[in-house]
Amino acid sequence: MKFDLTIALADRPGQLLKALKPIAKNGGNIISIIHERENPSAGFVPVSLVVDFPSKWNMQKTINDLRKIGVTLIKAEEVVDTAHITAILVGKADLERIVQEGLRNAEIIGFEVSAPTSKDACLKLEIEVPTDLLDETLENLRRVAESEDSLVILPI
Amino acid sequence: MNVIIVGFGFIGRKLVRAFYKKIDLIRNVDASFKVIGVSDSKGYLYDSKGLDLERLSYVKRLSEYSGKYREGGSTEEIIEKGEADLMVEATPTNINDGEPGLSFIKAALKKGIHVVTSNKGPLVVAFKELTSLAEKNDCLLLYEGTVAGAVPVFSLVRKCLQGDIIRRIVGILNGTTNYILSRMYFEGTSFELALKEARERGLTERDPSYDVDGIDAACKAVILANALMNRNVKFEDVKRTGIRRVTQEAISLAKKSKFAIKLISTIDKHIEVSPKLVPINHPLCVHGTLNAIHIETDLAREITLIGHGAGEETVSAVLNDVLTVMKETASPI
Ligand SMILES: NC(=O)c1ccc[n+]([C@@H]2O[C@H](COP(=O)([O-])OP(=O)(O)OC[C@H]3O[C@@H](n4cnc5c(N)ncnc54)[C@H](OP(=O)(O)O)[C@@H]3O)[C@@H](O)[C@H]2O)c1
Repeated sequence: MKFDLTIALADRPGQLLKALKPIAKNGGNIISIIHERENPSAGFVPVSLVVDFPSKWNMQKTINDLRKIGVTLIKAEEVVDTAHITAILVGKADLERIVQEGLRNAEIIGFEVSAPTSKDACLKLEIEVPTDLLDETLENLRRVAESEDSLVILPI
Repeated sequence: MNVIIVGFGFIGRKLVRAFYKKIDLIRNVDASFKVIGVSDSKGYLYDSKGLDLERLSYVKRLSEYSGKYREGGSTEEIIEKGEADLMVEATPTNINDGEPGLSFIKAALKKGIHVVTSNKGPLVVAFKELTSLAEKNDCLLLYEGTVAGAVPVFSLVRKCLQGDIIRRIVGILNGTTNYILSRMYFEGTSFELALKEARERGLTERDPSYDVDGIDAACKAVILANALMNRNVKFEDVKRTGIRRVTQEAISLAKKSKFAIKLISTIDKHIEVSPKLVPINHPLCVHGTLNAIHIETDLAREITLIGHGAGEETVSAVLNDVLTVMKETASPI
């Protein structure tokens, strides 16, 4: 399980090393570190880490240990793998319904419409979907589009 | 090896020409190779001593080959004579009941005659029945020309991917729709105009729905699934959407995001034929009348084949099947 952690470190030597110890101790595997030394604020430097933990519990334990040694946690959230999908719909579909029913799990990050008033209205959607919900989401989109009598064209 | 050819249309005639032109190569594989019979819907030519391939390659109709023509004679008769070792079957495709090809193939296999066919119909209707019948009678049944014309997909898998498990196949299996969609993509023409052009170039079947509604591509998907992925599927199992509703606007929007729209046959959990977005830098993204097949396997991972999906090039596949039968059935000296 990957987590995105942002911590605030005092702008003094040795602080980063101190903060990494509880992570390693609790089974975390560090995937990336961004240490923003250039923008300290009020004597603190933000550090962003992506860490792979064996479970949520290991992550929770790490947060507690970090608190104990006085490291401030700014953000901790699970990183969800997402897929970026382009889909094209042809037909005069009810956009609102497609978004509400067909794309419940997806985030729409872009769209483009051409000939919106004709019976061959054409809509291109750029969506982001958590990878584990991809099949379900595309199936939903297809079902809703079909019930609206529009053609949905998905990537191979 | 004694060969009979059933169907003397485009493929049958081109095959006779290829036999004639490459007779040395063929006789090198099997010195006794000869064509002893050829039939069409009206009659047949037959000569146990072998027909003259040069003469045969210059006739348009069988009746023009004087002396040996039997008007009104049927294909069943030349099968029943029992002198043939191999039948090449190239009658028109019929996906409703597979006839007349299906009965000819069954009759030949029951007589222990190996079969090479370019006709999808019998395989779509009765794949399992025919392959079991071939096995039972110790015969080869090869059909390379039925899917993607000259592209050697079955031979490749049979010979070169013997230890792989095929997990998924995606492909452009219909050249006519690829031509139409390519015209729309490159020239910005409408679907109607591109279809008209395809018709004028003789690329469509008499009934264009066979191509544009994905019927042809679905038949090929059925054969691929049964032959290469050990499925037991029928035409009705394919979820099918054609390209009639693919508009110029849809293609332009796709193009802006670096996709082309292609009619794609997909065989994985489900079998589907539908228009799909293909990234323009994907190996499947071929244009014009070309076909492409992308195979995903456990060991080799990904292999893509590209080539001519119909027309004269198909003879390459049929001839290779004929040579394969000769080599694999030759008795060891
Ligand atoms: N053409 C291609 O590019 C291509 C590519 C791949 C696969 N194929 C497949 O290969 C097969 C042959 O195609 P083609 O283009 O050669 O077709 P074609 O030109 O229509 O020729 C079909 C031949 O079959 C004969 N025939 C019809 N009914 C018969 C019967 N009951 N007994 C014996 N012969 C019979 C026809 O005889 P008559 O002339 O007397 O009617 C004709 O000679 C088709 O299944 C096709 O789908 C074709």
